[in-house]
Amino acid sequence: MRTRLRQFGDRTFTTVSGLSVLLLTGALVVILGPLFWRGAGAVVFRGTVEFRRMQYDMHGRGNKETLNAESDQAAHVRKDAYDLLESFAAGIDTTGLQKEARRIYRQFKTQLRNKVENIAITPEEASLLKSVGKKLRNHLLEAYETTKPDEAKQSLDFVLKHAGDENLAGSVAGQFFDMARQYLQIVITVDLTRREEYGETLNEVQEIIRELLGPRPGEPLPELSQFQYGATRWDRAQLLLDRLVWNEEWVEQGSGKSLKKVRTKRAEQFAGTELAGLFPMVEQNLEKMLCPQRTFYWQYFIDDSTPGHFFGGVGPEILGTLLLTLLSMVFAVPLGVTAAGYLVECAGDSRFVRVIRTCINTLAGVPSVVFGLFGLAFFVLYLQPKLGLPKGSSILAGAMTLAALVLPVLIRASEEAIRAVPRSYKEASLALGAGKFRTFVTVTLPAAAPGILTGIILSISRAAGETAPILFTAAVALGPIPETLTQPTRTLSYGSYDIAVGDRIAALVPHQQYGMVMTLIALVLVLNLAAIIIRRRLEAKLRGQ
Amino acid sequence: MIADCGLRIADLETDKRRKNMMELKQTPVVDVTEMKQLHEFHSALPEQAERVETNTSGPVIVSDGFCLYYGSKAGVKDITMDIYPRAVTAIIGPSGCGKSTFLRSINRMNDLIPHTRAAGKLAVNGQDVYDKRVNLVNLRQQVGMVFQRPNPFPKSIYDNVAYGPRLQGIRKRSRLDEIVEKCLHDAALWEEAKDELKKSALALSGGQQQRLCIARTLATGPRVLLMDEPCSALDPIATGRIEELIRKLKTDYTIVIVTHNMQQAARVSDRTAFFCLGDLIEYGLTRDVFTNPQSKQTEDYITGRFG
Repeated sequence: MRTRLRQFGDRTFTTVSGLSVLLLTGALVVILGPLFWRGAGAVVFRGTVEFRRMQYDMHGRGNKETLNAESDQAAHVRKDAYDLLESFAAGIDTTGLQKEARRIYRQFKTQLRNKVENIAITPEEASLLKSVGKKLRNHLLEAYETTKPDEAKQSLDFVLKHAGDENLAGSVAGQFFDMARQYLQIVITVDLTRREEYGETLNEVQEIIRELLGPRPGEPLPELSQFQYGATRWDRAQLLLDRLVWNEEWVEQGSGKSLKKVRTKRAEQFAGTELAGLFPMVEQNLEKMLCPQRTFYWQYFIDDSTPGHFFGGVGPEILGTLLLTLLSMVFAVPLGVTAAGYLVECAGDSRFVRVIRTCINTLAGVPSVVFGLFGLAFFVLYLQPKLGLPKGSSILAGAMTLAALVLPVLIRASEEAIRAVPRSYKEASLALGAGKFRTFVTVTLPAAAPGILTGIILSISRAAGETAPILFTAAVALGPIPETLTQPTRTLSYGSYDIAVGDRIAALVPHQQYGMVMTLIALVLVLNLAAIIIRRRLEAKLRGQ
Repeated sequence: MIADCGLRIADLETDKRRKNMMELKQTPVVDVTEMKQLHEFHSALPEQAERVETNTSGPVIVSDGFCLYYGSKAGVKDITMDIYPRAVTAIIGPSGCGKSTFLRSINRMNDLIPHTRAAGKLAVNGQDVYDKRVNLVNLRQQVGMVFQRPNPFPKSIYDNVAYGPRLQGIRKRSRLDEIVEKCLHDAALWEEAKDELKKSALALSGGQQQRLCIARTLATGPRVLLMDEPCSALDPIATGRIEELIRKLKTDYTIVIVTHNMQQAARVSDRTAFFCLGDLIEYGLTRDVFTNPQSKQTEDYITGRFG
């Protein structure tokens, strides 16, 4: 009975512990898997011709000839869409047409004046022609202004009646007839009563098209580089296409009820107009317009980004994170190890030492933002001016704050490691006539090195990932790559935080956010891996292999 | 499950006890006749016996009423004995009798334990060990120590032996090479280790490690060697080699050895001291202590009636 009970106990223990390990592995996959998967989207994605154009303009990457060929091909397909948009816009926005009509009339007047001077016609004839031209102009303007199709048609018919007038033939006034004919076409297809409504949505459509395809050829280039290119990523282009094809509106459901999102096809909104054809056309030809290609953008890890992270990579962020982390280790490791050495080897077990130990343990549990405020108050606002360093947050201050943050953890780990060194090593060294310090440096420390490295690994992971301590002391969201340690830097942790809290940015560049998080995790993994390999080596050496 | 664990611990404990009993049964009871035979074996080595007689050139270590306290508890009390040069002095006695305490007092290794306090006089070469002005580094270089378990540093064989000389400021490679070779020779390890000086000391076997520790101690140039049960963690063959080494070394060094193994004491030592409960019960030539003990306690111990 006893044996069976024991076996049962053993088996239960094995099962439970095995299951918990499995659970842990599952949790790890569930947490890290999506992060890596979505983060990889920043590096491997379908890049459009806009992306390649941007890469060529900014970094000179890619082949100019193939790029040009691609651009030409895309421009050819895009032209239809642009033309459609332009002619429709002309019908909606008649101020341009009105201006044109007035300009033509002015030109007509000068032409008549010249003819009179050259004695080609008499002044009486000229004034007659002038009044006819004026009438034509006025009718055209009326047609442009009215929202009633019948009136517009009447006016246009009046204008077109004069089309056969011999006196006007060969003069500038002939252009009136062309304009009238064009507008008649528009009046027939476009519902003039809905002109205002169309005007609003048309603006939206134009915006989306600009975001999707970039500025129109011939249009002056915008100042900000983020507006100089269309959608660089195919997934982003798909989102924009969705916004282009579908109109989203929040409709009231009646008083007291919540708003409801209603999606309607824009093609239906513009039904009956020539613009209705734009949407299916863009939808069908988007691939030809953007030429998406599978892209492996490994330069993501070294490239600088445009302001706001619209394009480019996280190079400066990686650099800043590495700098901060490693510099904080430079501060923390010597301090931590000597402190641990003192606590173990010299301090004994007095009340004072016990108080210190409790303080260290408490410090390890202090929220990191408190360290951040301390760093701001002490390093940035007090120490930096005292030492004559430039004002404001700096890598140096951030590294020192991070060092203060990880110091308790480091001291604890080092203390355990030093305590775990066999007493016989110390005895042997002392018996050979070595002093305490000599023994510590030549025997205890090498033997404790693997354990201390474990502490360093934990500290690196913590320092690299912390945001709060560098919030006030070292990090900026946007800015140049630092040249000295007295300048602030961008970091991965702060960067992803900043994108997350920036209200519109997060929706525009989700791949940047995931990319940063993935890079951060990968960076910590790589640093840890390096430390683990060193520890393995040391341990093997200590074991005598 | 808890009950189960309890059961297992109980099982383990009975197991341990049973094992101990077995071991006790297996340990041969040393009787006086056997000791006599041993002694005859000893006296068969003429130069050894002679040395005991001739080495009267004054003691190296003088203990006069020496006491050492751990807090208020006495580790050893009122030890008065002289230890002579170029001879092996064995200290035997049951566990907790203060043998190791006394041994470790000689080079002040007891300082590592907090709250120790010494009284009386203990001198090495005429210098009071517990004098406040004594230079511990010098003392420990003069009085080397070999521990119970082989404790080489996790470094190469070469670095282990060179550790002491390097402490003394010897940096020249050729000089260090010379010292390492000589000490490994003296510790009878040269032949085995000369091709693997760069290999980790931990790759050696237990017996080799202990000889390396002896070599390491010799490298600091001591005059006295303290050995705290140097063979207790070794098998009989390794033990034999160490004992052989001890006999060889005593021509140059004063050796004090603490041992639980009475045969070992009889085999290697010239003089034997018997400690019990912190007191020195009997001290004399090994032959006399084993064949003709003056004290009843000694006789009981060496014949295996207690301890």
